[in-house]
Amino acid sequence: MKNHKIIFHFARLISFFVIVISPLFFTQSILAACLTSSCHQQLKTFAQLHEPLVEGECQACHERVVEEHPLKKGSSFKLVADGAALCLECHDAFDPASGKLHDAVAEGECLACHNPHGSNGDGLLQAGGDLKVICFECHDGTPFAQEFVHGPAAAGVCLECHDPHQSNNEALLLHDSKSLCLRCHADLATGLEDATVIHAPLNDEACNSCHEVHASPFAHLLKGDGPKFCFSCHKELADKYNKAGTKHTALYKDGRCGNCHAPHFSSYAALLPERESDVCLRCHGKDDFHRSKALKNIRTELTEKEHLHGPLNDGDCSACHDPHGSDFYRLLVNDYPESFYAPYRKGTYAFCLSCHEENLLRFPETSIYTLFRDGKRNLHYTHVADPRKGRSCRACHQAHASNGPKLVNEDGAPFGNWKIPLRLVLTETGGSCSPGCHRRMSYDRKNPVIKK
Amino acid sequence: MPVDVVVNRPGSIRLAFLLVLIFFLLLLFSACTGPEVVRPQGSVFFPPVPNPPRVQYLTRISSSTDVDGKKLGGLSIIAVGDSRAEKPKPIIKPYGITVRDGKLYVCDTSPGRLIVIDPARKTFEFLKGNYSFGKLKKPINSALDSEGNLYVADTMRKEVLVYGPSGSFLRAFGKGLEMKPVDVAIDGDYLYVLDLKNHDIKILDRKSGKLLETIGNDSDNKHLLSMPISLDTDPKGSIYVSNMTSGKIINLDRDGHLLGEFGKLGDGFGQFGRPKGLTVDDQGRIYVVDAAHQNVQIFNKDGRLLMFFGDPGLPFGSLNLPAGIAVTSEGIDLFKEYIDPAFQVEQLIFVTSQFGPAKISVYGLGELKN
Repeated sequence: MKNHKIIFHFARLISFFVIVISPLFFTQSILAACLTSSCHQQLKTFAQLHEPLVEGECQACHERVVEEHPLKKGSSFKLVADGAALCLECHDAFDPASGKLHDAVAEGECLACHNPHGSNGDGLLQAGGDLKVICFECHDGTPFAQEFVHGPAAAGVCLECHDPHQSNNEALLLHDSKSLCLRCHADLATGLEDATVIHAPLNDEACNSCHEVHASPFAHLLKGDGPKFCFSCHKELADKYNKAGTKHTALYKDGRCGNCHAPHFSSYAALLPERESDVCLRCHGKDDFHRSKALKNIRTELTEKEHLHGPLNDGDCSACHDPHGSDFYRLLVNDYPESFYAPYRKGTYAFCLSCHEENLLRFPETSIYTLFRDGKRNLHYTHVADPRKGRSCRACHQAHASNGPKLVNEDGAPFGNWKIPLRLVLTETGGSCSPGCHRRMSYDRKNPVIKK
Repeated sequence: MPVDVVVNRPGSIRLAFLLVLIFFLLLLFSACTGPEVVRPQGSVFFPPVPNPPRVQYLTRISSSTDVDGKKLGGLSIIAVGDSRAEKPKPIIKPYGITVRDGKLYVCDTSPGRLIVIDPARKTFEFLKGNYSFGKLKKPINSALDSEGNLYVADTMRKEVLVYGPSGSFLRAFGKGLEMKPVDVAIDGDYLYVLDLKNHDIKILDRKSGKLLETIGNDSDNKHLLSMPISLDTDPKGSIYVSNMTSGKIINLDRDGHLLGEFGKLGDGFGQFGRPKGLTVDDQGRIYVVDAAHQNVQIFNKDGRLLMFFGDPGLPFGSLNLPAGIAVTSEGIDLFKEYIDPAFQVEQLIFVTSQFGPAKISVYGLGELKN
């Protein structure tokens, strides 16, 4: 009985050896046989091995056709199937109906990218690290040789953006263009959610309507150079930019259009990064010690002033100035004389009169167009339309802000080295002033001082 | 079965006879109900195709029937026996027309009366104060002030008569001014009276009637106005005047300064044969009626012709010796049943015709809906 038990245990041990251990020993012995010191040694150098190789299943892909191996001429083995068919023995096929196939996949050229035995990178790719080495085997690498290169392109991580096998998106992208970009450019994604104004291409088109995706000779991977590129859509600005008699310096230096505009989104009209007047005051709101003809510090003109010029109340500098260029003095949107003396003629004051009463300076007598009159005698006409010595608006009014009503210049208008005081006193029906120009003179709308 | 046929035949004859009788009775009654308001078949638009439509002819008002819907019925004559009680009140020979708060004030020259039409309340009434000292002889144009007082230019009395908001006569201006007032307009406390006789505009204090100034034909602007026939003010207060003998539309300010002019005598676009009524809408567009061309021309504030409408020759929507015009953006909904579903009306235009079946033609200015 005891002998029976010993025989039974011995039989179990033999069975275990035959069923479990011997195949391992057998396959390892096959693998060992393939990777001898003189054969297929290079397969040992890969960091990652193809799964059948790990399993020692060389025969999963290779089939012996003659006993003798190695042969001096010819091969003792052949592949069990040709091209992609061999891969599809184990891997799932790509359905062409599910998306556009990479050409190499469509043609069954798996080995164009993959090494069937092993690799030092992921996915048994022919090369690890910089994938451009593989991709440029087929794709032209010339466009990548630019001054500015997109980070993933520079690093050769093509698969951060592209699916190497199949995709429903253009250029085998992993996602549609905008979503793909916003995966990394998360700051844009957050900003777009809160923005009230979004640059049209971001809404209607893709990021690549403005940006190159791989490399560009222009900063920010733009497709063109600064304003000229912007003018490809904003055509109406090109003429102004090129031909304006008075040019806005900001458009011609550093970030150019980007000096004033946010390229992607904003909470302000015209993609300005902040309130329009604040954008302007970035340059025009500080003392300028850098140039011989210094920019005026407009901020000091506005600070603590009781009355702001109407458009400035809304922060709307562009109501008067054209930031893209103008043929008029100080980038104004219409004609206004540069000199202190400028008799009124039709069109001379078109800038002021485009908002203010257009008939203000037309008639020597009026009961309608101005309160600055003695009876019906139009004192605006008297001051400005004098054909010999008509004074421009600046003789009495500030352009931006004042503590006086009607933006009257309380500090006095610059007249050479002197500031001409105005000393305006208003009454219910008129007023008087005693400027540096004449003795104190009064006017009264109801009871004219100067009788006819 | 044949028996049934024999039995039913007399019933069928009786039924047919009854139907014929009812038909003729209806025909008889319908003949006694007075003139039907004929609705245009399909919408009438101006300008004609292929231009996009900007003005639609909506309807006409020629008598009280068109407003209150009450018709002179044959049955009511028989039943009540008093035809005058239900008789429609016709518009005889309308000239000037004014609109305020959806109400129309129509000067009916021949009978010497002023009709107040309220489409919202469906009322058609004659001015209450038109008797005794307030009796109109030949009212030609009217205007309303901010308090609802009505100023009526009467060419035969050579005065401007003032009626209160309730229609009662208040006073008359013009005695001693030796004028022939043909139109009036209000600007704040100023009453502008257009004087055909002296070719000028008299500016009166609207409360006292005191003559403040005369413009349009002073030493500086001699013959600026030439047989002026109609005036109106734009939203900024400047005055537009139509002139019959020069064919010009003159734009003046209250001081009499010439601000602009356009038009001349002729039969071209933007020219006039006999300019009559003129009005300015709240957008500054100027509408000028032409009694010779029998149409209305619309200009922008720069005097550029925008379009014209109402020319003769159409079954509906043509004018017949037109005279007065009024424009409003109020009360459009009251005419919505006439507005083409594809058309969106911004302004209602009322034009009087001195002859023809349509004494007041109602048009809508607008555009096709998107």
